[in-house]
Amino acid sequence: MRFMRLGLWLLRRERSSGEWRVLLLALIIGVGSVSTTGFLGDRLKRAMGEQGASFLGADLLVTSSRAIESWPASSTQNIPAKSSPLSTSSLATSQALEFSSMVAKGDAFQLATLRAVDAAYPLRGTVRIAPQPFTESTSRPALPPPGAIYVAPDLLPLLSANVGDSVQIGEASFTIAGVVAEEPGQLGGVFGLAPRVFMRADEVERTHVLQPGSRVTYLYQFAGEPNQLTAFSATLKPTLDSTQRLIGSREGVETLRGAFANADRYIQLTALISLLLSVAAIAIAAHRHALRHYDQAALMRCMGATTAQLRTLYAVQLLTLGVLGSLIGVAIGALMQQALALLILPDAATRLPSLGLAPVGIAVVSGLLALAGASLPALMRLIRVPPLRVLRRDLPPLPLGAWISAAVSGSTLLLLIAWYAGDAKLVGVFVGALAGLVLVLTLLARLALFAGRGVQRLSHGPVRFGLAQLLRHRFDSTLQLGAFTLALFLVALLALVRSDLIAGWQQQLPPEAPNYFLVNIAPYQQAAVADYLSQHQLKASELYPMVRGRLTIKNGVPIASTLPPELRDSNTLRRELNLTWTATLPANNAILAGQWHGTHNAAEISVESGMAERLNLAVGDQLGFQIGDQTLDARITSIRSVKWDSMQPNFFVIFAPGQLDALPAAAIASVYVPPGASGMLPGFVKAFPGVTVLALDKLIANIEAVFAQIIGAIQLLLGFLLAAGMAVVIATLLASLDARQQEAVLLRTLGAQRAYLAKSLWSEFLALGLLAGLLASACAEIAMALISDRLFELPARLHPWLWLALPLAGALLVGMSGWLTTRHITRVPPMQSIRALG
Amino acid sequence: MTPPDSAQFPAESSSASQPPSVVTARALSQRVSTADSTLTILSEVELDVKAGEILAITGASGSGKSTLLGLLAGLDQPSSGDIFLLGQNLSELDEDARARLRAGRIGFVFQSFQLLPARSALENILLPLELAGRTDARERAAHWLERVGLTARAAHTPRQLSGGEQQRIAIARAFATDPQILFADEPTGNLDADTGARIIELLFELNASAHTTLILVTHDDALASRCQRRLHLIAGHASEVAVA
Ligand SMILES: Nc1ncnc2c1ncn2[C@@H]1O[C@H](COP(=O)(O)OP(=O)(O)OP(=O)(O)O)[C@@H](O)[C@H]1O
Ligand SMILES: [Mg+2]
Repeated sequence: MRFMRLGLWLLRRERSSGEWRVLLLALIIGVGSVSTTGFLGDRLKRAMGEQGASFLGADLLVTSSRAIESWPASSTQNIPAKSSPLSTSSLATSQALEFSSMVAKGDAFQLATLRAVDAAYPLRGTVRIAPQPFTESTSRPALPPPGAIYVAPDLLPLLSANVGDSVQIGEASFTIAGVVAEEPGQLGGVFGLAPRVFMRADEVERTHVLQPGSRVTYLYQFAGEPNQLTAFSATLKPTLDSTQRLIGSREGVETLRGAFANADRYIQLTALISLLLSVAAIAIAAHRHALRHYDQAALMRCMGATTAQLRTLYAVQLLTLGVLGSLIGVAIGALMQQALALLILPDAATRLPSLGLAPVGIAVVSGLLALAGASLPALMRLIRVPPLRVLRRDLPPLPLGAWISAAVSGSTLLLLIAWYAGDAKLVGVFVGALAGLVLVLTLLARLALFAGRGVQRLSHGPVRFGLAQLLRHRFDSTLQLGAFTLALFLVALLALVRSDLIAGWQQQLPPEAPNYFLVNIAPYQQAAVADYLSQHQLKASELYPMVRGRLTIKNGVPIASTLPPELRDSNTLRRELNLTWTATLPANNAILAGQWHGTHNAAEISVESGMAERLNLAVGDQLGFQIGDQTLDARITSIRSVKWDSMQPNFFVIFAPGQLDALPAAAIASVYVPPGASGMLPGFVKAFPGVTVLALDKLIANIEAVFAQIIGAIQLLLGFLLAAGMAVVIATLLASLDARQQEAVLLRTLGAQRAYLAKSLWSEFLALGLLAGLLASACAEIAMALISDRLFELPARLHPWLWLALPLAGALLVGMSGWLTTRHITRVPPMQSIRALG
Repeated sequence: MTPPDSAQFPAESSSASQPPSVVTARALSQRVSTADSTLTILSEVELDVKAGEILAITGASGSGKSTLLGLLAGLDQPSSGDIFLLGQNLSELDEDARARLRAGRIGFVFQSFQLLPARSALENILLPLELAGRTDARERAAHWLERVGLTARAAHTPRQLSGGEQQRIAIARAFATDPQILFADEPTGNLDADTGARIIELLFELNASAHTTLILVTHDDALASRCQRRLHLIAGHASEVAVA
């Protein structure tokens, strides 16, 4: 108890010491970083959890790509089958249709996601409708009055429409009766590319939008007592085919939460990097603190303090700093997460639950763990200082085995990483990547410093002196350089990913690449659409008929069973594929193996090479597809490469003609509309009301906006990384401050001007920052080249501005941190410095 | 092994005329092994200091004075031989037990002052009192600050004080807990002759009023000659020299 008080007493007097400040600062940065993501992740997760059934809009949801006519016998009376009207059932039911269509007003048109609902929708949760965007909303059924629709607020500006205006959907016109402020299953409207519209199910017919082959999702909702639901889903499940899904409220949230948890984990790991950088700064500060306190510790031992008492004393100091730093960090995290939340969901304040307490605990424990891992070795040495040191000043504290220190720090940090990464594999990958990065950065830093030697020889005066400092403290410089390069590199990489992918994609398109997709062209419209396009002299692709089907069988056995477990969940198997047929090989495709089927009228298919590789398919394999309620077999006769970014309709699987003709197939085509001719589009939309017109540039802009939001959010996190990098620079500089001060005093007594000292300091820090910037630029270019090549198959390109911006940013930030840390050594009069060094 | 004057511990049981031994060394040797040879720093030192005595340890530089002082105070362990400090055989105590023995009972004054740089003069004196858990720490610290005549400098840090002033603070710190024994290693070594003399006066004066046993290492013959006893070291060999 006494020693706790004493510890606090000693700490209070030293609160202004450089080491404690850096330690606290680094801790605040690290904890701020992990708590920002922690808070946000927790809020989003709880938003999903709390919504439960209201998330699905029902207790049970069945989705199907076609209407389900027959329901299990045991519960037919409860089922909204077309034949039987909604009955006095024990299960409440509702059915809805979801499909995409164009909504037009005057010459403006926009793709929207329509949900046609009945009076019971939603069974759980609420739909809130407001009379005007961003005004008070009321909870009411999603079913609009006859002849009216409710629309998402973002649709209005896109159509230059207001509530009360009349808009066209297909061949029918509707009045906008209100805006959707909230609906089940949505955290925010940001990620939907096509705005939501609610309409009446009984008015779908009138629009003539849905044609055979149109893509529609049937949503059947059920709500009721848990035991009835269980019985119902048990009888229903066996009757569903692989294109239909039964989702329980729990399960619906779980799948979403699973996907979310994965993304969340990666973001948390990004945040963890800042914490680990902070650990480096903390370790350096703690080491220096120990160095400066060996005398104090020895004196106290001499005065009769036992090791246990000293341990208490220093533990209390550490804990106090740890809790203080963590709490400040958490407070900053709480502020930052709100900024992030608003960036991702503009109306986060109303959509998300309030801050949770759990992340506070997690962040504080992370902070304490990081602090412990970073500073325990230094403090352990401090406690074991021999009291005899008071007589023999040179006596070093008992060496703590390097292995023990490494084990203490290593295991604490590993614990921290394991905690954030969750599973062993990710821990391995993370630690491996980190170790690799550290190794590469160390090597690069050493190399750069080596090159710096040449520059130093050529320079003179204070610059030469400053550079000499940089080269002398080689370990420090390597650490500073490495830490700062890492921070700059990651920040730059994200910026590049954001701007490059989209820009690069657009840049390499041929000048007359298609800029519109025409989707959902009904069979009876296809000839007319082709005529229309040629009449207007538009360059269009072939019209590809399209049916949707799922790949289920390979050579007689379920394909999932032929794959290793981790591939079974592949999107290619879960999703319905767009299947087409044609006799001519599409322009951007090339045969890699086998022979193009051409007009050969047989059960033959051509498969895209990437898919073939993923699913281990080869020419000669017999595949089975589930298309609607029938299955179809075909043999692979060729493997094709596809240029996915060609803006042409592309297909994984192309059938030989004659195989799918019997199926209702809406067609797809791409078309180039020259800038001057876009005036014909409203005419086209009016002429072919069911056809969806996708403006690719708008689509790209939309994707880009979503992308920018997410990356912007992550970049905010990387601000922490930069701050942590600065903390490392400051900590290492502090560690060498005594020696520097001694040198400065010596130089000043020898007649060096204050300006000389200042210049030499500046040249040291500017050089450090410039170097870090250059290294980071190089790393970012290489990483970016790899990413574009491997992930997005884009050609790598150089970014000259990067080579200017990063060194400048580095010089500025490092220069600032360095100057702030060391400026006073140029100011102190030599006499005072001599006394201080005593 | 039993202490030579074991009969005199505890003090109450001793004869009234003979004060008890507070520090005793028996066949005390200290050797350090270097890369190729063993260096003997102290060899078979015998010593017995009674309560209230003032002992000077003298000798040339490198003769082993500081080493002996450190051993007697229990700051280090000897290679062979026994040390009894306040009746306790130090070889039976581990590092922490020795520290507990020192707490509040042993005071130190060093050549290099060893004040905590970040703390004020008053706080430096407070430190051992706080460590010993004295409830009247503040008052005692203020009292001792006054005894060394530096009340006006209470809030100043060592950096703002002269060498002599710093040593006075160190002395106040050493006496503040009313130690039974005070060890001083060349307390005037870093000071000019005048200041050194004043420091010594202060030390003797405080010692006289507090009845502390004083063991001090010094180069200064004048100082040594004012002590009751004098132990002279020559290359690790000790011999008691009669004080004039
Ligand atoms: N741990 C050690 N390792 C090696 N040599 C040591 C060790 N401890 C002491 N010595 C040596 O023993 C000798 C005595 O040291 P000590 O500090 O006791 O001398 P001193 O009499 O106090 O000298 P001074 O008057 O200069 O302070 C010195 O030569 C010193 O270098
Ligand atoms: Mg000495």
